[in-house]
Amino acid sequence: MADQLGVPVGGVEAVAPDALAARVADTLAAGGRFVMLLGLDERSLGGDGLAVEAVATRVDGTLARFRAGLPLDAASYPSITPVVPAAHWDEREARDLLGIVPVGHPDPRRLVLHERWPRGYHPLRKDIPADAPPPIADRHFVPFEVHGEGVYQLPVGPIHAGIIEPGHFRFSAIGERVLHLDARLFFTHRGLEKLVEGRSFAAAAPVVERACGVCTVTHALAYAEAVERLASTIVPPRARWARVILAELERLYNHVGDLGNICAGIGFQPGVSRLGWLKEQLLRANDALTGHRYLTGIVAAGGLVADLEPLALAALPATLDAIGAELAGAVRAILRSEGVMSRLHGTGVVARDTAAALGALGVGARACGIDIDLRRDRPYAAYGELEVGVVTAAAGDVAARFHVRAQEARESLRLLREAFDRLPAGPVSVPLATLPEAGASALGAAEGPRGASWVWLRAGAGGTIDRLRLRSASFANWPVVAAAAPGNLVPDFPLINKSFELCYACTDR
Amino acid sequence: MPMHVLDRILRPLRRRPVTSRYPDAPPELPPAARGLPELDPSRCDGNAACVEACPTGAIRLGPTTWSLDAGACIFCGACARACVPAAIRLGHRIELAADQRDGLVTVRARSGPA
Repeated sequence: MADQLGVPVGGVEAVAPDALAARVADTLAAGGRFVMLLGLDERSLGGDGLAVEAVATRVDGTLARFRAGLPLDAASYPSITPVVPAAHWDEREARDLLGIVPVGHPDPRRLVLHERWPRGYHPLRKDIPADAPPPIADRHFVPFEVHGEGVYQLPVGPIHAGIIEPGHFRFSAIGERVLHLDARLFFTHRGLEKLVEGRSFAAAAPVVERACGVCTVTHALAYAEAVERLASTIVPPRARWARVILAELERLYNHVGDLGNICAGIGFQPGVSRLGWLKEQLLRANDALTGHRYLTGIVAAGGLVADLEPLALAALPATLDAIGAELAGAVRAILRSEGVMSRLHGTGVVARDTAAALGALGVGARACGIDIDLRRDRPYAAYGELEVGVVTAAAGDVAARFHVRAQEARESLRLLREAFDRLPAGPVSVPLATLPEAGASALGAAEGPRGASWVWLRAGAGGTIDRLRLRSASFANWPVVAAAAPGNLVPDFPLINKSFELCYACTDR
Repeated sequence: MPMHVLDRILRPLRRRPVTSRYPDAPPELPPAARGLPELDPSRCDGNAACVEACPTGAIRLGPTTWSLDAGACIFCGACARACVPAAIRLGHRIELAADQRDGLVTVRARSGPA
């Protein structure tokens, strides 16, 4: 069965709580991939308890969705993390935000809500009002420490000496070698998923696309796809192709900036300057095309908010040609610099098995040989009509992530030119075709610069949102960063971190 | 000195600066750039569609005033799209720093019905 978008529909299958782990594991064993696990409060839709839903893709591209109902006063189920490690953070998040306890989870610590949030206070439960400030508890953070002779602790952050987001990195080191890294994030919790509940689909869009500043189009596309699925809406051809242009512009400025950031991680200033200048040119092209340097307020459910600026669009191919030539020169100069490359090779190695188990996405996954890319595997916008070249590398180190990014940037330039040539005339938006009935749910996804971001969306009454969850690519990849650190020198961590260049804000929401 | 080395050294001298003169010169903004929403008071009919449309509650409408809080505005343009008499457009005002919180609020006089 296929819906109007041509993508097979996967219904939700009700399962017993103790069957959840086995059902997800079977789906993955048959070649599927884990998408997300989330907690639900069913009381707003006439239910009397909570629920937990796990989503995975099957080999044929359909979604396998398993939902287990849980009683309100004893909301627990056997954890799926022991058999599906990629779900470890999802389960901890559902425990913090909804009080759904995964029994047998290997890590009982808090994740999203820090210790200053009181026990038993679960903000995504429907009986907690969105506008009431939470009470403050007086407990304090107990860091994870490795004890033993010669082991010392190196706390870094949450406030850093640079314009980066807050995160506390606790290194346990012997000499200069990292033994263990405990990354404590979630300092930027704004309660965005609570904030959009009860809002109309249109009113929630500015919130979703601002979950972070650099995956705007990715999140907006994932959200728009979820809404369009719920509302049985087909986007006009010009909007589908323009979405490819926007998505690739976002990938390109991120990749160019991230290549420059890898240079910054080792203090290679010529690379930082050249690539920083290129990124600025791309941001200005974004501004001219859409009125915003980081591409907010352009993607909407049903198409685009407004058409791309005609004059700026006409100038795009020439701009891209100039940027492509300069980018190739800058990458060549970096690759020829032995001092740079010797720092990148063999640093921050992630084993393929580790990345696969943790559910790594995007560049982080492809740089250790995991051949995934939603643009090819589950096409959205106009990607189904494009041949997307998926770049992989085998080594799993910083150099591999550098190479993958550099080649993906080149592929983005090629896709941009092709999308520009094939951009049809016509309208860029349609009104939503139907009002989804309360309780209907759907997922949308897009492959961003950091990997696949997924939006799970359930409609409430009268075209409002009952529940939304955004699982960004950064959320999936942070544990992979922590796994890449052990065995490396402490001063190499900034480089390893920058080779992933993940976002904190959309991890947290 | 070989010619190509000399050429390499002199190349930056022939190139235009890649930096812009801002803040010594006005910012170079493309026509589409979305700055702070601006009101044309003569077109405002006080229908409050902008207040309804604003996702952050940045706009307030008084009997004789229209005010915008730049500290809450996210430059999405929903107000401009919702305004039937087209009294609001996103201009090119991007220098919005103020030394007091109140300084972020722009109040404009308007004459239409509240």
